[in-house]
Amino acid sequence: MSDNAYNLFEMAQAQFDQVADVLELEDGVRQLLRQPLREYQFLVPVRMDDGSVQVFNGFRVQHNDARGPAKGGLRFHPHENINTVRALAMWMTWKCSVVDIPLGGGKGGVICDPHHLSTHEQEQICRGWVRQMARNVGPFQDVPAPDVMTNGQHMLWMLDEYEAIHGAHAPGFITGKPVGMGGSLGRTEATGYGVAFTLREALSELEIDPASTTASVQGFGNVAQHAIRKYVELRGKVVGVACWNNQDKTSYLFRNPKGIDVDQLVGLADQFGDLDPEKVRQVGCEVLPGEEWLAQEVDILIPAALENQINADTVDRISRQVKIIVEGANGPTTPEADAVLNARGVFLVPDFLANAGGVTCSYFEQVQCNVNFFWEKSEVLERLEAKMTAAFWAVCDLARKRKLSMRDAAYVIAIDRVARAVKSRGWV
Amino acid sequence: MTPRSHPESASLDSVLEALRERAKELDCLYRVEELLGQHDRPLPELLQEVVRLLPSGWQFPKKCQARIAIDAATYDSAPYLPPACGHAADIIMEGAVIGSVAVSYVQEVPLRGEDCFLEKEHKLIQTVAERISQTLQHRKLRQMRDEWELARKELDNPSSREWMVIVDLIRRTDPLMLNYISRQMLHRLSRIGVAEARNLVRSIDRIGEEDFLEESNSPIQAQDMEKILAVSEAVFKLAAQHLSADDILVSVQKWVQDKRASFLIKAVDNATTTLEDIIEAVALYKAMEDRQVRLSPSAEQWLKVSLIQRFFSDDLEYVGTAKENVEVMDFHGLVQRIIFPAGSGGNLGGKSAGLFLAQSILAHSDEPELEHVKFPKTWYLPVDALTVFLHVNELESINEQKYKDIDQVRLEYPDIVHLLKCSWFPDDIEKGLSAALDDFGDVPLIVRSSSLLEDRVGASFAGKYKSLFLANRGSKEERLRTLLEAIAEVYASLFGPDPIEYRAVCGLQDFNEKMAIMIQEVVGQRVGDYFFPLYSGVAFSNNEFRWSPRIKRKDGLVRMVPGLGTRAVDRVNDDYSVLVSPGAPNLRVNVTPDEVCRYAPKKMDVINLETGRFETIGIDEFLKNHGAQIPVASQIVSACCEGGLLAPAGIHTDFARDHAVVTFEGLIQKTPFIKGIQTILKRLQAKIGRPVDIEFASDGTHLYLLQCRSQSLTDYDASSAIPTDVPDERIIFTAKRFVSNAPIPEITHIVYVDPKGYAGLPRRGQLLDVARAVGMLNRLLPKRQFILMGPGRWGSRGDIKLGVPITYSDIHNTAMLIEIARRKGNHIPELSFGTHFFQDLVESSIHYLPLYPDDDGIHFNREFLRQSPNLLPDLLPAFASLAEVIRVIDVPQSAQGRILKILLNADEVSALGFLARPSGKTEKSAPPLERPIENAPSKDHWRWRLRMAEQIAARLNPVRFGVKALYLFGSTSNASARPNSDINLLVHFAGTDPQRADLTAWLQGWSHSLAEINYLRTGHAADELLDVQWITDDDVALQRGYAAKISAVTDPARPLPLNGKDE
Repeated sequence: MSDNAYNLFEMAQAQFDQVADVLELEDGVRQLLRQPLREYQFLVPVRMDDGSVQVFNGFRVQHNDARGPAKGGLRFHPHENINTVRALAMWMTWKCSVVDIPLGGGKGGVICDPHHLSTHEQEQICRGWVRQMARNVGPFQDVPAPDVMTNGQHMLWMLDEYEAIHGAHAPGFITGKPVGMGGSLGRTEATGYGVAFTLREALSELEIDPASTTASVQGFGNVAQHAIRKYVELRGKVVGVACWNNQDKTSYLFRNPKGIDVDQLVGLADQFGDLDPEKVRQVGCEVLPGEEWLAQEVDILIPAALENQINADTVDRISRQVKIIVEGANGPTTPEADAVLNARGVFLVPDFLANAGGVTCSYFEQVQCNVNFFWEKSEVLERLEAKMTAAFWAVCDLARKRKLSMRDAAYVIAIDRVARAVKSRGWV
Repeated sequence: MTPRSHPESASLDSVLEALRERAKELDCLYRVEELLGQHDRPLPELLQEVVRLLPSGWQFPKKCQARIAIDAATYDSAPYLPPACGHAADIIMEGAVIGSVAVSYVQEVPLRGEDCFLEKEHKLIQTVAERISQTLQHRKLRQMRDEWELARKELDNPSSREWMVIVDLIRRTDPLMLNYISRQMLHRLSRIGVAEARNLVRSIDRIGEEDFLEESNSPIQAQDMEKILAVSEAVFKLAAQHLSADDILVSVQKWVQDKRASFLIKAVDNATTTLEDIIEAVALYKAMEDRQVRLSPSAEQWLKVSLIQRFFSDDLEYVGTAKENVEVMDFHGLVQRIIFPAGSGGNLGGKSAGLFLAQSILAHSDEPELEHVKFPKTWYLPVDALTVFLHVNELESINEQKYKDIDQVRLEYPDIVHLLKCSWFPDDIEKGLSAALDDFGDVPLIVRSSSLLEDRVGASFAGKYKSLFLANRGSKEERLRTLLEAIAEVYASLFGPDPIEYRAVCGLQDFNEKMAIMIQEVVGQRVGDYFFPLYSGVAFSNNEFRWSPRIKRKDGLVRMVPGLGTRAVDRVNDDYSVLVSPGAPNLRVNVTPDEVCRYAPKKMDVINLETGRFETIGIDEFLKNHGAQIPVASQIVSACCEGGLLAPAGIHTDFARDHAVVTFEGLIQKTPFIKGIQTILKRLQAKIGRPVDIEFASDGTHLYLLQCRSQSLTDYDASSAIPTDVPDERIIFTAKRFVSNAPIPEITHIVYVDPKGYAGLPRRGQLLDVARAVGMLNRLLPKRQFILMGPGRWGSRGDIKLGVPITYSDIHNTAMLIEIARRKGNHIPELSFGTHFFQDLVESSIHYLPLYPDDDGIHFNREFLRQSPNLLPDLLPAFASLAEVIRVIDVPQSAQGRILKILLNADEVSALGFLARPSGKTEKSAPPLERPIENAPSKDHWRWRLRMAEQIAARLNPVRFGVKALYLFGSTSNASARPNSDINLLVHFAGTDPQRADLTAWLQGWSHSLAEINYLRTGHAADELLDVQWITDDDVALQRGYAAKISAVTDPARPLPLNGKDE
């Protein structure tokens, strides 16, 4: 797909090059880090339900494992391409590094569309993938996880195949497994709580009392709900929640200046977080168009739904009162908007730090599996809090010291850690 | 030859000569003996052979001839010549000479003494004569013995006498019957070639068979019955000679039965016969059947056809199919449950016809999958019950409704409903219904219409008339009253405005529409206060919604829901049904747990047994409270666990704790349900000869079939004929892969995202902009009159290079979603088939079509798409920079007033999009199933709306309300308003908050009033009719939001002159 004018990998490399300049990395390190360390591309032949054989292309990119086994998702996508996977693998390296967990970055997948495959055929693809990769992945080499169009079931098939090949149990080979089958408790809460922990520390950095703050949140899914819960525990007040309504095919902002009761709202929502505006109105909320979420007079914005929500067009609608933006979603802010916010002095917690609670919990899952001892939920969440807090302060201190934006500081610290690791190991 | 010169040799010669002669004689005798020993061959044949053989035994065979004479017959060895000399021997039987054997020479031969024969030859002829005598004697004895044996056997066999007894009896008692069987026998005999029978036929008929063959123009004279009776004795004598007694008996018995059964046919065939007589006739047939008496095939067929026509339809196709699949006995069950007024004709309407046919087909097949298929108990009221009902209440004038103005019909309809519900039913019907209720017990019931027009080819009346559910609880009296009222209400729907208008549109106004009623038990279980089928739905032979290229059209489609099937039959905007293709059950629409949950049914229709009402309840709530009580719950729901994993929930499901969603995964994976549905569909399609659509429901144990009709009856599934004479320059695209049937409205706008242009966009942000622009166009362009054409996968996530990353809300107004797969080297990219939002597309009837422009023989008019004027910069100035990528084409403007017509034909796997003159007719301009009538644009709908909008403006005081301008846009402005269209107003507002509140209230008053007027005109009920948008000075200055409409190129907002202000 080299004809693609728009190439995610090139974008990731450009981003790396910028930070490498800041870090004044030597050429060898740059050469090593701007490309994946290892790439596997292979075929997965599958006997289909109708008796025919179809051959799928599978791959795995291990961008860097200097700090620990590579970690990253497995995607089933009909138009998967190697450059996207390379970029995502590189970002995984930085993400694991920024929260300082001893894991590297990887990504992989199979070119297929599960919509056109039966469950049995998908199982065969999973097992076929493991048969090809069994020697190059494992608890101490490379640890896959669910990603686009894969889930816990796929992970269990892969684990089973892996264990069959190696003749031993190795639950640490893969994460994202259901609880009771090697999964970790606290997974549901992890990302949202992580968002709230970084928010709490950001408030503390700005010396603002959470109890005096208000926030507006975009999204009412898993991440948003748990972030709101934690924030409300800190006595903060969420005055607006915007969410998509599938029935009306539009999004609404539910606003209540007295503060939104998340449990009440959850009670009104269906299983997807869809809220019926009429019901919400009855409990005392105003109903406004969804895009109003970022124009609210609040101190904090938490975009926790879609990418590119804060862009050149919308950034000017953000109130001057807003002091902190915590990126719960991936890529909610475009570079243009980022520049504007930076100039305004808005404190922004970048996505790959703010929502790293998920990967941290995956790490915990792996740790628990490797020692075959599973923690209580409270222990998982306590350790999460410690990790996220420490990660935040490392970034924040650097930003303050070097007068960098939080986003730049996060990249600098992440890349610096990996650069040190490769050098310490004497690779370069 | 050896010379005879030597004396020794001479004597030797004579010895040899004698021996040779002797050998000849013995040989001859031996062969004669052999021939005569063949007892099974006819005697004349044997004698003929014997006589030919004889000369070989005499000294000079070449000059020798032989003759055997017995009685009158003679047998010669050769053409008989006058003999020179000869000898003979007598053939004697029982002491009398009955013939002779003679051998003679035709020429002179050397004499032995005086005799020209050898001594031995005299003996030989004597022996032959004796042997023949013996043979004759033996044969005679054997024949006597055989005859005696036969006679004895016949005495043992009653049939030999029985037929005579029967014929004699008939002769004495029933001359008509005798006439009939004599004639049948006579024809039978003449057919098998009995000459006397033919003569008899000729003697009876004044004209002979030859006249028949000549096809004379003069009428054939009726035969005189007397004559036949006169010869009947002769006929049966002949029969006795030529047919076995058994044969005669069987024939006579069959003719007698046929003749007797003809009373059935006579009864049914005669339009004036009452339904009572027919029911009795069918009962008599049943009695015959029980006695294993069978009709001749032709009589059986006649009877069947008569019954089919009587109860169901004259339609030749229906009759043709039905007669092949229905047994007369099938009517026996049916007639038991018909409630009819005196003198009823018995027609049960279209819906009953379809169901009856399906029931018969499935009942007569032996596939094991069909073992558990049942039909709900059903009682019927024929069409004339309504006639009688109207008559006894003196309400005949109600039939005039269909000729009244539609708003009058609508206005009067509530009164008609009330009137009919207050009317009384004739005693016999009420009694019948009371009996029906006893038969049903207290199971909930559904009262359904079954009209003559329903399920008729060409006009889909599906859902036009009412069906009412009844809880059927309470005292018998209450139950009966409720049932009567329900029937009256269903009757009233015949005079409702919607069907009357629809009939007018379809040109069926003058059709004498009649309505029969079906009262069916509702299949299901009680859980909590609710009664409902555990699952139900519809299934189609042809899958017109394929979500994967691996699914074939003939794989079929099942749409199913928990609870009553109402939610699967109709498309519901706020919910989903579970889709399965029976031929490919493992390929599911929704794959990830997220998708499965999102597109799971959320509500279900039930009958509340406590309130007696039909209700829609939330599934989540219901499962939490009652999940554990649902039988076979594990077939219906899956549990959502933390890992996002879904597994069919078993006994361990804790409904209070786990989140259960309806997936039917257990039913699909672990039961033969899908196989059963597939077998039903295949079987019905094979027998009916057309793809079918069926409704089904299950109580958890059995699968019940509720309805069956041919799939092509619905507008939705009809193939369009693809014209072949469209000039190339008018073709926009053709397609030859993955084409499904669907009617596509006439298209006025095309949004074309150029694949090359899109691939060439360098920045991710620009790709996202394309999606945003498409989303805005979706809101600006006239609903369901534009199509979206774009590269690869619409709704791509992640690598958005592969397709425009829109969400469903960005496209939900399009009429069609087209994905274009352009070849890249050897590779054709895989398309999405709309999987990202497939079920949304299904529920909104948005059709999907993939195009492969690089395939052989495919047209793709890139020039038209690339070179027509592009409206984008005018419509969305902010996205003008994308004009090379997104092209918005106003088709009539670019094609001299032509519109884009898209025809789909799945049978030929062919689609064609071409420029054509707008039909100007109302047909198909809206997606069907969205109630075609209501959406038929008519001049009226926009005209009065426009008048009203102008009235509003004329009365709106701009100073009082702080209004700068008022604009009209949308369907009223562009004359495309439908019955359910809003009036879109744009208020340029510059007043204070109190003014705004004032104006809002003022406009609301208008809105409510207009909604009421619209309801009277169209039957579309809505609370308000005005859709008001507000813009400010800033908006106008920036052309922001709706303000962009003011100077828009397509469908611009038009200013309305305000009170005291002239624009």
